[in-house]
Amino acid sequence: MKKTILTSLLIAGSLVAGSLTANKRGVAPVSDSFYMKECASCHFAYQPGLLPSRSWEKLMGNLSNHFSTDASLEPADNKIILNYLIKNSAENSTDYKRSKKINDSIPKNETPISLTETKYFIKEHRGIPSRLIEQKEVKSLANCMACHTTADTGSYSERAIKIPNYGKWED
Amino acid sequence: MKKILLASLIAISFIQAKELNPSMQGFMNDLSVEAKKQNPNIQGFDYARGEVIFTTKQIGKKGNPISCVSCHTNDLSQNGLNEHTNKVIEPLSPFANPKRFTDVKEVKKWLRRNFKDVYNREGTALEQGDVITYIINKK
Ligand code: HEC
Ligand code: HEC
Ligand code: HEC
Repeated sequence: MKKTILTSLLIAGSLVAGSLTANKRGVAPVSDSFYMKECASCHFAYQPGLLPSRSWEKLMGNLSNHFSTDASLEPADNKIILNYLIKNSAENSTDYKRSKKINDSIPKNETPISLTETKYFIKEHRGIPSRLIEQKEVKSLANCMACHTTADTGSYSERAIKIPNYGKWED
Repeated sequence: MKKILLASLIAISFIQAKELNPSMQGFMNDLSVEAKKQNPNIQGFDYARGEVIFTTKQIGKKGNPISCVSCHTNDLSQNGLNEHTNKVIEPLSPFANPKRFTDVKEVKKWLRRNFKDVYNREGTALEQGDVITYIINKK
């Protein structure tokens, strides 16, 4: 009996702790200037909290064939960046609401390297007509800043969404 | 007559590229030594060969026709646009963008990557020297 009470207290406690910890909105903004220099030269600086550690390990292990382009780094530089990504990855930033949701949406046996292919991401974006994505001002859903005007601060809030040639998003 | 010729030769050398910093000059020398090792008949780097390397389309890493122009445009004093991601690329010409060709590590990294994207292999020392000669001299 005592044991059951203790376990339920523990479970309840960890649930409260869990919900309390995901108390920050969006994802943590990028804080590392070396990451900015090396990983934002071809595209938006995706925040480390958008993917789990195992995804970053896989992605950083194959930079010479990175989405059909060569993004290779010297081994020492690769290591510095991978450390930063892991330290701030989705499962290590679950105090941020979006990181927690993304992480929870990825089955444990999967290791996506595109955050645009995660369940959470697909669910959030499936209502957008494809002509608004394919247009030249956007071109791909990977181009976060084209619609999320504050994506660089880690905020993806609906209020800050403005789709080119469409305007504010109200659903 | 000879004098005029001499004068114009001097003038030509004045409208040459902006002076490279010592570490970039060192890199160009290394490329030149390496190129001559591979082919002793080589006279030096050549703007016209560099232009061909920069502007000719190849079936690149992604399987589509692509050249250096695809991302950097033909006017090296203007912004380019990354064909894969739509992100703006600052001008490649050091006349328009003084940060270019100042950091050997950066230049080596991008030549390695960009040659792989366009030619599916790294550039030879001669090709790298030629294409740099083209980029830093083109007005
Ligand atoms: C040489 C250019 C280049 C560099 C450098 C580069 N990337 Fe990419 N990256 C790309 C391209 C091209 C894509 C595919 C984009 C698209 O689908 O629109 C991509 C896509 C991605 C995606 C997937 C986006 C999605 O669809 O969800 C992630 C994550 C990513 N890159 C992370 C990184 C990281 C981390 C670094 C630094 C180590 C980096 N990239 C450096 C070119 C680059
Ligand atoms: C074509 C425009 C567009 C692009 C590009 C885009 N998004 Fe979105 N995103 C939207 C819209 C519209 C919504 C709101 C969907 C809804 O609630 O109906 C949204 C919702 C979201 C949400 C949920 C926000 C919330 O408050 O519920 C997140 C997180 C998000 N996007 C992240 C991203 C990331 C990261 C990228 C880049 C990899 C990206 N988006 C690219 C349009 C876009
Ligand atoms: C897919 C797009 C793409 C293609 C194709 C491409 N580049 Fe680049 N290049 C880039 C990007 C992105 C950068 C780095 C962004 C920046 O520094 O603004 C860059 C940087 C460079 C630099 C760095 C110069 C410096 O000092 O900063 C050189 C040199 C260069 N490219 C040469 C070439 C050559 C030569 C080719 C053809 C073999 C080529 N590029 C093809 C995208 C491309």
